[in-house]
Amino acid sequence: MTELVRLTDVIKVYQGGITGALNGVSLSIDQGEFTAVMGPSGSGKSTLLNLIAGLDRPTSGDVVVGGTNLGGLGEAGLARFRRDHVGFVFQFFHLLPNLTALENVLIPAQLKGRENADARGRKLLERLGIADVAGRYPARLSGGQQQRVAIARALINNPTLLLADEPTGALDTHSGEQVMDLLAQLHRDGQTILLVTHDAKLATRQASRVVSVMDGKIVDDARLETKERATSEVVRIRGEETSR
Amino acid sequence: MTAIVVKAIADLKRRRLQAAVIFVATLLAAGTGTMALTLLSQTHDPYQAAFEAQQGAHLQVAYDSRSDPKTMAATPQLLSATASGGPYPVTSLQFQAGSRKFGLDTIGRDDPGGPVEKLRITAGRWPSSNDEIALTRSFSDLNNIAVGQKIKVISVAQEPVLTVTGEVVDIDEGSADLSSQHAWMLSSAIPSLSTKDSSYYLMTYRFATDPSSAQLQADMDRLRFALPPGSVVGSVNYILIRNVFNITNQIVTSVLIAFSIFALAATAAIVANLVTGIVISAYREIGIMKAVGFTPRQVVAVFELQILIPAAAACLVGIPAGTIASQPLLANSSHALGLAYTPSFSVGLDLVTLAGALLIVALAALLPAFRAGLLKPVVVIANASSPRGRSGRGLRRLAAQMRLPRAVVLGIGDAFARPARAILTLVAIFMGVATITVALGLPRSFTAINNSETNAGNVDVVVRKSPALSDADALRIINSQPETARVVAETGNNFTLPGVGDPVNARVFRGDSSHLGYMVVAGRWFNVPGEVLAPKALLQDAHLKIGDHFNASVHGSVVPLVVVGEVYDINNLGHSLFMDWATLSAVEPEVSPDAYLITLTPGASVNTYVQHVSAAQPDLLDVEPNNTGIIPPVKIIDSVLLILMIVIALIGVGGIFNTLLLNTRERVRDTATLKAVGMSPRQVMAMVAASAGLIALVGGIIAIPIGVGLHRYLLDLISVSAGNDTPPAAYAVFGPLELVAIPVIGVLVAVAAALIPGRWAARTNVVEVLHAE
Repeated sequence: MTELVRLTDVIKVYQGGITGALNGVSLSIDQGEFTAVMGPSGSGKSTLLNLIAGLDRPTSGDVVVGGTNLGGLGEAGLARFRRDHVGFVFQFFHLLPNLTALENVLIPAQLKGRENADARGRKLLERLGIADVAGRYPARLSGGQQQRVAIARALINNPTLLLADEPTGALDTHSGEQVMDLLAQLHRDGQTILLVTHDAKLATRQASRVVSVMDGKIVDDARLETKERATSEVVRIRGEETSR
Repeated sequence: MTAIVVKAIADLKRRRLQAAVIFVATLLAAGTGTMALTLLSQTHDPYQAAFEAQQGAHLQVAYDSRSDPKTMAATPQLLSATASGGPYPVTSLQFQAGSRKFGLDTIGRDDPGGPVEKLRITAGRWPSSNDEIALTRSFSDLNNIAVGQKIKVISVAQEPVLTVTGEVVDIDEGSADLSSQHAWMLSSAIPSLSTKDSSYYLMTYRFATDPSSAQLQADMDRLRFALPPGSVVGSVNYILIRNVFNITNQIVTSVLIAFSIFALAATAAIVANLVTGIVISAYREIGIMKAVGFTPRQVVAVFELQILIPAAAACLVGIPAGTIASQPLLANSSHALGLAYTPSFSVGLDLVTLAGALLIVALAALLPAFRAGLLKPVVVIANASSPRGRSGRGLRRLAAQMRLPRAVVLGIGDAFARPARAILTLVAIFMGVATITVALGLPRSFTAINNSETNAGNVDVVVRKSPALSDADALRIINSQPETARVVAETGNNFTLPGVGDPVNARVFRGDSSHLGYMVVAGRWFNVPGEVLAPKALLQDAHLKIGDHFNASVHGSVVPLVVVGEVYDINNLGHSLFMDWATLSAVEPEVSPDAYLITLTPGASVNTYVQHVSAAQPDLLDVEPNNTGIIPPVKIIDSVLLILMIVIALIGVGGIFNTLLLNTRERVRDTATLKAVGMSPRQVMAMVAASAGLIALVGGIIAIPIGVGLHRYLLDLISVSAGNDTPPAAYAVFGPLELVAIPVIGVLVAVAAALIPGRWAARTNVVEVLHAE
């Protein structure tokens, strides 16, 4: 397998922070993996995701994605990197309220200079089952629909890495399951996915690997080759969480 | 109450930039407003004070030199005047001081005091012998002539040398840059200096109360009826002189008032915009305020207070600054009137300005503040910002069809996403661009009018002839110069018109005067004897229009005239006649030119020409390059316009800066999202700049025709003040390219103003913003 993401001894201390959000994290993710990063609130999992997405910079250590050391990129370079290599799905969707669903999906492609991405945008909406809402504004979409639009937007530039930060956190159970099924389908089609969640069940249901983060450190890194293994891991991780 | 103040001050500290925008906009508006009101209220005072102190003449009448002194002495009774001066013998003299030559109507008067027209000596003393003369201070200042200096009389053969013994201020004549001037000698000195047709008697009258124009005209009619025909050769009343004195300040005041209204409107737009933005960005906070017990009225008070505090601070600086800025103009008036300058202002008026400015600001903030007060706590706590719909979609689509970069398309869509904000911003930009249009146009129109009045480009050299030199001799010298291409001779004479109280100065031309460059407002230039042109004020006073025939009289002789055109002329505030030589010579065959307006052959040197003609007749000809310089009052008006342009343009820039700041702050989450999905900092800046650029472009496009219209309106107002209609050529001062360039420059300025909010948006920390949910 080809290595896609490599973090080496990454430390992140926020301004005014007494302790680091990440304290010497090293991690490698291969292409095609569906990795779930798990941990309680404040554990550093979102910080890890932001560093990999190039939304934030480490205090020290290296973050290399697709062979590019993000530390060597300026603001414009990071923006290009995000546009070309990363798709980001947020917990609260973050759709632009004054653009229609289709317009939201097309934004990254247009920023990249691909003005003729309409067909691909519509195809993505169709694939995600929301072709009928292409002309609607976010305020007129359900939470599940909004998150699908956000996923379509994340996929429009064929990213090598899809990052999802608590993508079901703002959704009801049914919508959340639909979104997770969608991510699983994308993974089966070859998409590398890094999912951040605090829900152990969610983490183990679709992911092939679960990385547990606690107090800014990776405390566990489990590969779930089989369904049975996954079930036992859920039991184990939940048990550990409870004991903490 | 304490909670309101504490909250308002805390908000102010947090929103320092917005407070600064309010402070600057209000400061500039209050400053210009105060300046306008101070000038408006104080302009009449210096003249009125000087007129009373010097017992100015309500009416001055010039009588023919052959008039009977006893008849003249009876005229005060005839007019029911309470006091009178004269009759004083007067003669028009030509003087030479150094290389300069000039003409002055010199009055024989033994005493500067008396019951009417007391002359205030500001330097030196009154003449005590026949070889001494006193000049007006205004004339001395303009021509750099000091007390003690010798000047030579060149209009009489013996060419006596006189000593300037004093400078005086005469309340009964305008300043030297706008009016002809008097000089004074002992009455015993006048006979030996008088020549034929250059002498007359002057009487001054004062009435119990200030008479109206109609009363003065009735007085003049009574005089003409009672005296032999041709006895009255000229007259001037205090209303005309007061208007000449006050015209600069009147025009400046008109311009200042117009632009103060602009500045206040733009400030109100900025404030309303700002409070709306603050309310939108503070939705959740307003909910919390109401949840902890603020009543709707208290919420309104918090918002009003945080606007009124910087506005009041701005007024405290702006009102004194405006008062101080108006003082040089008032000092200028006082100086011209010989009054000791004392700073002039009205505390009451300043308080009214303070109250007015605060009221406008408070009213501008009231509506959005009310909106805040009426918000439902539960709803606003749940929604961090106000809901947004399909705003900007049409514009975005249009921009997308033009294949503009996506960041620009998004910016264009955002420009009018909040229509109310966009309109308020448009108001500020509109004011700025319209002001720039006016401030560019008016000085050019003034230049065009000045060029017409001074024959710029049409006359290169002006030769003034002493009465001691014959017309034929002067022409022989002029025509002997090979560089002489065209000569137009000019003289003046007073004509009496029916229905017009004061005799009117006629400008009489010999030669092809149609090429002198005078602006014809309507009709045409005269072609044949009897045809005349006049400015609007005279046509109005005489109830004449183009095509009307009427009889005027000069020295008792009736002259049939027909009006063929309306001409622009500010002399005597639009009271003059333009006519051909033959019209006057038909009744005054001996008339001789006072001056020759000379056009040189292409490429000829003006200075060499002046030297040659001067050398040919150094004493009896005054040869000067045509002085086409702008007169000081116009320079003052131009300076005021320039300052206003800068002030209101700054307010306009403040308006767009304010809007962009609000937009970028309000859309910080959207910007962070866009950055997260790959928008580069440069693209973010392009988006913000595109938004600013579009608003500026629309504001500019609307403002240009209105600015051109305002330019016309103000020009008309100024022309009317000077007794004229505006000539079409004075309107046509904008090139089509310029009218395109002004909004384009507006766009560039707006884009530059977008740099700070744009950079701020470009530096948005995605992680901080998106995780602050």
